[in-house]
Amino acid sequence: MNLQINSEIAFTYLVARKKQTLVASLGVMFGISMYIFMNSLISGTNEYFEKMTLSSTPHIRLYKDHETSNSAMLDQSIGDSTVNLIVNPRLIKSDDRLINPVGLVQFIRSVSSVTAASPQVTATVICSNGTVQSNGVVSGIDIIEQDKMFDITSTMIAGSVKDLYINPNGIIIGSVMAHNLNINLEDDVTVTASNGSVKVLHVVGIFQTTIKNVDQTKCYSNVSVVQQLLKKDRGYITDIYINIKDHNEANVVASSIAKVTGYNVETWQSANEQAIAARTIRDTIANSVVVTILLVAGFGIYNILNMMIYEKIKEIAILKATGFAGQHVISIFIIQALLIGMIGVVAGLGFGWLVSKTVSMIYIGKGNLEYLPVSFYAKHYVQGSAFGILTAFFAGYIPAVRASDVDPVQIIRG
Amino acid sequence: MIELKATGINKSFYAPERFQVLNNISFEITRGEFISITGKSGCGKSTLLYILSTMDTDYEGTLELGGELVTGKGQRELAAFRNARLGFVFQFHYLLPDFTCLNNVMIPGLRLGKLSRKEVEHNAYEKLKLLGVGDQALKRASRISGGQQQRVAIARALINNPDIIMGDEPTGNLDTRNTEIVFEMLNKLSLEEQKTIITVTHDKDFASRSNRIIEMSDGAIINQQKR
Ligand SMILES: Nc1ncnc2c1ncn2[C@@H]1O[C@H](COP(=O)(O)OP(=O)(O)OP(=O)(O)O)[C@@H](O)[C@H]1O
Ligand SMILES: [Mg+2]
Repeated sequence: MNLQINSEIAFTYLVARKKQTLVASLGVMFGISMYIFMNSLISGTNEYFEKMTLSSTPHIRLYKDHETSNSAMLDQSIGDSTVNLIVNPRLIKSDDRLINPVGLVQFIRSVSSVTAASPQVTATVICSNGTVQSNGVVSGIDIIEQDKMFDITSTMIAGSVKDLYINPNGIIIGSVMAHNLNINLEDDVTVTASNGSVKVLHVVGIFQTTIKNVDQTKCYSNVSVVQQLLKKDRGYITDIYINIKDHNEANVVASSIAKVTGYNVETWQSANEQAIAARTIRDTIANSVVVTILLVAGFGIYNILNMMIYEKIKEIAILKATGFAGQHVISIFIIQALLIGMIGVVAGLGFGWLVSKTVSMIYIGKGNLEYLPVSFYAKHYVQGSAFGILTAFFAGYIPAVRASDVDPVQIIRG
Repeated sequence: MIELKATGINKSFYAPERFQVLNNISFEITRGEFISITGKSGCGKSTLLYILSTMDTDYEGTLELGGELVTGKGQRELAAFRNARLGFVFQFHYLLPDFTCLNNVMIPGLRLGKLSRKEVEHNAYEKLKLLGVGDQALKRASRISGGQQQRVAIARALINNPDIIMGDEPTGNLDTRNTEIVFEMLNKLSLEEQKTIITVTHDKDFASRSNRIIEMSDGAIINQQKR
């Protein structure tokens, strides 16, 4: 099919109706730029919140749950000649320790997708400096492994995580607690556990996450310190934090680890379901806005082409009379729609980038969020272009078919 | 050789009520003939011409062009046939107003795609010059006078060197001098290149100088006089 003459006619019509072309292209442009902007903002926001979540939650947490009393023991002693039921069963107060934690950690590290595994034990404490007191939670951790997971180093405002590794009686505290207790680096802090045991620890580092609650209560120390505070033995470990290569795979890896070890697992998604829900809501809002705008842009093209075809019905009749078949007429108007689409896409790519860039420079300065989070992915620009062209195509197709149905005799007869 | 053969052509309009415009029209035209169709206004000349030009397919009877039956052919085939073998000048000389005169003439040539763009452009210029509108070539078609438009439309009908040229009052808007130019041109085409010319005309002088006059009245041929 000789497309060249069709495109030439389409092009001439576009140029002859500059205003209409401009209006239709503007519709597409806004559609595309909103698509790009909304997606960039939403994915930037999602990434921001995900990063926030993952800076305090491991991808997977392994722990032991309390068990509800069951009839297993009864069955054993009484036998199964009767049906043994426990009325109003209670939780069994059992030790929540993981058995053979060293072996467990070794096994978990041997799983190929695991990047870090950090055994933990936690104690609720009161930190005091002289008569001033503050509630806190001390995590006994392998600081090197924990740093790999949560990048504690990046939040340190004094001291370093290595100092904790070197100093067995060291502690790292948050900036708010340090301020409340008037403690500086290299000072000592008295830590009292709920069971009454007391330890004096040496402050080797201060961190600041800007999440106030964390900075006020969270403390890091070595595993042995917390075990001593709890009056437990050296093998007492209650949780293992696990990070994996792709955090979106957490559910799969978690269930396989749970199956092998027999302990409970919690993924970061299930630990933060409200965050996942918020993400779904954001995605839905963004998608409906984008679809609406593209639809409006599509109607714009449809309307303008329809109007143009109405105006040019005589000319279409002439073209058909001089040897243009229906398919040629269709191709003329589809090319026209696609040209409008392309102008709109090119402008939309630029404008979308500009809007995204501008918004990403809006200062927020709340918590650790300095600027609005906006991501820049080629993916969004490619998808935006594709949607723009597709919208233009379909918006042009219906009027084009209508144009191809014009009966030249009826028109020329007048 | 028979270029055009119409057999028993009937056509009726149904709006507002049934009205038979063409009544059992049959005739033949040999290649190279120059035919004039005359008759009172409203007797069905244009209607007949639209059928002969393959644009109107809604009729009874059969039509053969160049020895080929065209009745019953598909729209796409007919479009290609018109493009390559038929030139048509409409009663109200329709041009595409957004294009230059030159482009208007070139478009059917480019659609055919037999010659390069350069050759088509050259030919288009030649035709425009022959018809005395060469100097209007680069003007937009909406910016020239009615008579000039009519001549551009004639140039367009000739661009693909068609075997059959049909005109619905092709000289209706022209003064005697330009009518003469157009007549000479068509006459030359029929004499030297064996083109078949069919024109509807009210111009008695024009008609009397052609090979044959087909006179119509109320949708029927009432008289055919060979010159
Ligand atoms: N679309 C239509 N619907 C109904 N009747 C029509 C239609 N088109 C034409 N007619 C009628 O058909 C008859 C023939 O019309 P046609 O246009 O062929 O006349 P004509 O001989 O070309 O006249 P003129 O010399 O004025 O151009 C007229 O009576 C006209 O009223
Ligand atoms: Mg007429």
